[in-house]
Amino acid sequence: MSQISLHNVTKTYQIGEDNLVAVQDISLDIQSGDFISIVGHSGSGKTTLLSLIGGITTPTSGRISFEDMDLSAMGSDGLSEYRCQKIGFMFQFASLLPMLTVKENLLLPTMFVPGSERTDAAKLDDKAAELLRSVGLLDKINAFPCQLSGGQQRRVAIARSFMNNPALILADEPTGDLDEDTEQEMINFFKSMNQTIGITFVMVTHNTELASHTPRRLRMHQGSLQML
Amino acid sequence: MTERFTLSSLAIRNLRRRPLRTAILVAALTLMVASLIFALSFVMRVNASIQLTSERLGADLLIVPTGARGAAEDILVESHARSFYMNKSIIERVRKVAGIDKLSHQTYLVSLIGMCCSVPESMVVAFNQETDFVVKPWLKNKLGRNLKKGEAIVGEESAFNISLGLVEMEAQLFGNPFKMVGVLDKTGSGLDTAIFISDDNIEDIIKNSDAKIKADQISVIFAKIKKGADAYKVMSEIENNIVEVDVVMRKDIGKSLLSALSDIRKIFYFTMILSTILSLFLVWAIFTAIANERTREVGIMRALGAKEGHVVKLFLFEVLVLGVIGSIAGIIVGTSLSVLLAKNFSILKNLPIDIGLLSRMLIAAAGLLFGTGICVIGALSPLNRLKKLEPLIAIKQE
Ligand SMILES: Nc1ncnc2c1ncn2[C@@H]1O[C@H](COP(=O)(O)OP(=O)(O)OP(=O)(O)O)[C@@H](O)[C@H]1O
Ligand SMILES: [Mg+2]
Repeated sequence: MSQISLHNVTKTYQIGEDNLVAVQDISLDIQSGDFISIVGHSGSGKTTLLSLIGGITTPTSGRISFEDMDLSAMGSDGLSEYRCQKIGFMFQFASLLPMLTVKENLLLPTMFVPGSERTDAAKLDDKAAELLRSVGLLDKINAFPCQLSGGQQRRVAIARSFMNNPALILADEPTGDLDEDTEQEMINFFKSMNQTIGITFVMVTHNTELASHTPRRLRMHQGSLQML
Repeated sequence: MTERFTLSSLAIRNLRRRPLRTAILVAALTLMVASLIFALSFVMRVNASIQLTSERLGADLLIVPTGARGAAEDILVESHARSFYMNKSIIERVRKVAGIDKLSHQTYLVSLIGMCCSVPESMVVAFNQETDFVVKPWLKNKLGRNLKKGEAIVGEESAFNISLGLVEMEAQLFGNPFKMVGVLDKTGSGLDTAIFISDDNIEDIIKNSDAKIKADQISVIFAKIKKGADAYKVMSEIENNIVEVDVVMRKDIGKSLLSALSDIRKIFYFTMILSTILSLFLVWAIFTAIANERTREVGIMRALGAKEGHVVKLFLFEVLVLGVIGSIAGIIVGTSLSVLLAKNFSILKNLPIDIGLLSRMLIAAAGLLFGTGICVIGALSPLNRLKKLEPLIAIKQE
């Protein structure tokens, strides 16, 4: 059983009279523990594909399932729980909540876990601190996002995506605004999470050098997927 | 202990983001709730006073000279001093009407007995002791005998004034010396401010003062009707047969005051409706702005696993906090206004009773419910739109 499987998935956007096909008839199987990189030109549909897998948008046609559960059958709350407990998002753009501190931003996804009232608050704090140390920002734990650089904000968002122990990380250009050294540190962190815990990674990147080191490489072109 | 980060802490953080806007919304709610509280207190106070007066009077019908109906209500409900007269012979003519059980008559005199300006004109009520069922049942301590000439019973408020020395009872009343021998329980009617004497005194008063009253004049006849008799029938019988009188039914006491107040009430209601619509619109506009501003954040939270219910809770908490703060402020302002301004409303100033603590609490509860309700209703549609938004679309919104 694949962790994620897409069957003939198409996503079209309606712009006035015209239809724009962002994702075209994609079929793809992702196994648990995979580390996949996706490259492709701007506008080729990478973000749309990740969004479909992560259940924050719905396909126009075709079927997506997680461990044989059809996403379209989950309903609004079911999809939320799926995102909450199975998926870790690293968005392409800044995604920290401005009125929350770094620590609170990390704790945010834990509030949505069913039964979260009963989990030990101290444990969650420890976990947040631990993840911040991994991305090298423990000293910023009480800072607000506006007090951080773009790359630092990016790393906080990276740490946040691991808070609910996801099975699958959907990373949309996670290292876009990082210097080479920091970028490499992050990739090493991802690899260790992939290898030690078995978290699946689907990572969009423009860095072909980086992509070339991942076990499975895909290219998107005008909404279609090609193996590399 | 590590403090848990919860939806409500997040909501409170959100509340602080635009202090000025929050303050404007709270102020608008405060005004709306305050005006509601004020209007409700006013109306309830008038109604309660009238009801109490009519319940406690002990008579089913009041028979007064034609045209004096309003003046009689002035006395009973508003504690104004008034005098009006009719001939004593009318008593016997009323007694002949079928359905009449008991009759008692009184004569009203207006006297200036205050020692200083703060005590207004007082009603002096000369009542008939043989037939009385209106005055003496309210005596605090039963006298056990009839009043003698020169003796007086006073209403509870007059007694208070006397005890303060504002009214000198031992002084002359219409040229005659009077002595206070009893105090009435609070009746909740205008009679609380009156002084009661036996009608034996009238002769002396005519002799010793320039009071414009004749010996065969009375002001009012109180009537009790027989059990099972129809009050309406008795009333119309009296009014048809005796053209010199008007009849006020017990349950109609205060009607002329109420109709005089009906325009004020209309203004109150109109103001209420307007300020409600205004507040609703303001809440709606502000929460539409808030929803637009935070669309992206909500999209991110949804992507991180927030359910629609979480979004609703988050915003509802914010709405409720605003609503409750605004309402409580409104209750405080409205209640203070109704207490302070009562002195500036001549209608309220003369009403015998204030509304009780229970009524005030009920009004406050109504204000709280109303204020928060308006907030929730106003925020509903923007909130509904927000929670239904697809996360990806929300995230891409600027
Ligand atoms: N909400 C939308 N409405 C209409 N068209 C859209 C919408 N979102 C995306 N598109 C279009 O869909 C296509 C794919 O967009 P997508 O964001 O997936 O590209 P991408 O591969 O992530 O690009 P980039 O590398 O620049 O992030 C683009 O042509 C874009 O214009
Ligand atoms: Mg993209």
